[in-house]
Amino acid sequence: MEATIGWWDDFFWAGVEVVQVFFVALAGTVAFGLMGAAAKLSNSRIAQKIANAYTIVFRGTPEILILLLIYFGSAITLTAIVNIFDPTVKFVDIPPFWAGSFGISLIVGGYATETFRGAFLGVDPGQIEAARALGISTVKTFFYVRVPAMWRLALPPFGNHMLSVIKDTALISVIGLNELLFVAEQGMAATAEPFPFFIAVGAIYLGFSTIITLTTMALEKHANKHLERVR
Amino acid sequence: MIIDFPLIFESIPKMLMGIGVTFQVLLLSLVLGTALAIVLLLLRISGKWFLAWPSMVYIYIFRGTPILVQIFIIYHGLPGLDFVRESIFWPVFRDPFGCAIVALTLNNGAYISEILRGGVLGVERGLLEAGSALGLSLRQRFLYITTPIAIRLATPAYSNDVISLMKSTALVSTITVVDMTGIARTIVAETYAPYEIFISVAIVYLIITWFIQKAFGALERRMSRHVRQETAT
Repeated sequence: MEATIGWWDDFFWAGVEVVQVFFVALAGTVAFGLMGAAAKLSNSRIAQKIANAYTIVFRGTPEILILLLIYFGSAITLTAIVNIFDPTVKFVDIPPFWAGSFGISLIVGGYATETFRGAFLGVDPGQIEAARALGISTVKTFFYVRVPAMWRLALPPFGNHMLSVIKDTALISVIGLNELLFVAEQGMAATAEPFPFFIAVGAIYLGFSTIITLTTMALEKHANKHLERVR
Repeated sequence: MIIDFPLIFESIPKMLMGIGVTFQVLLLSLVLGTALAIVLLLLRISGKWFLAWPSMVYIYIFRGTPILVQIFIIYHGLPGLDFVRESIFWPVFRDPFGCAIVALTLNNGAYISEILRGGVLGVERGLLEAGSALGLSLRQRFLYITTPIAIRLATPAYSNDVISLMKSTALVSTITVVDMTGIARTIVAETYAPYEIFISVAIVYLIITWFIQKAFGALERRMSRHVRQETAT
């Protein structure tokens, strides 16, 4: 691993970049997942159709293709718009950070749609009826009855979605974000010793996955702690 | 924004030339990955810690890192090691296609192994107890009771895995393998028409996904036909 000495600050900042993408994309995943689930459960035929098309398209096409399409597609559109005002501009793009985070949100959001939909339907209707019988308002029922029961059901698959998000961050290197794989490629070019650099990237990602797995386990324990006492 | 239809019609046949490579990568790494998964599964459920433990570590590592990183370690990383260049496997690792197959096989084996384990764990205990009461040996119980039921239980998850493997094959374009995505990226670099090209190739992938889903749907119905008849009467 001697070859990677002197590169650790690059790896560190690239890791920070990955963590930032992770949190932005995770927020987006939750947003798209909730919107998709709401659309699928709504009474509107059109909303259902749109949500179905969304999940089919984003779960059925390769992630790399979606990222390439979003980045280069938005770049060509933006360049065309800017050229109307200033024809000297050659290239305008959405920064790879935002294009990538948006792309990952859309992709994993497609999976989260199904998770949230399933969790919403999985809540015992008797609990909702009981809340209504107790005279609790619809809004309060949603936040105090439905959401706590729902997130317990959604947590295990949601942990997997978090792992998908962190692993998909590696794909943003193909649209030119200065992240871990990018650093490894620079290191390979500079030292001609590729192996330690790519192994280091793998080890860093394994660390991220481990943290996410442990966090999910802790959250699941927290969500189910009232059930433990009954047993 | 005007859609360049002639470009689409011109490009689709070019991209479809890559469908063969896409399918080769898919089928080879699926078959080899499934074989690897069975070995990992048998080690995992062997009941001996020195066999189960390496299998668990393997699965943990390969499921915990991005597939793109694994592809790069094998394609860029391994040729930097002297003993790899001197080994008999060098022709495999020298060739981007070989690296792609190795990477996807190793990655997919870990995922499929967990799917198969889910199937094995889903087999009802009572059936195995009945088998042992009838005097079947451990080996017979595994082959004639566990295996057929586990396969049926694991098929839905397996079909999802085939689809995600199909999507992963697009990543081999990053190591110069000329699959559909690779050709699409070359055409985009030449024509600078990302919408036309990437959306057309995405539609091709969607059609393949749809076919895989239909095929496994039919397979699942066939495998559970005895269950359905029971509920019908």
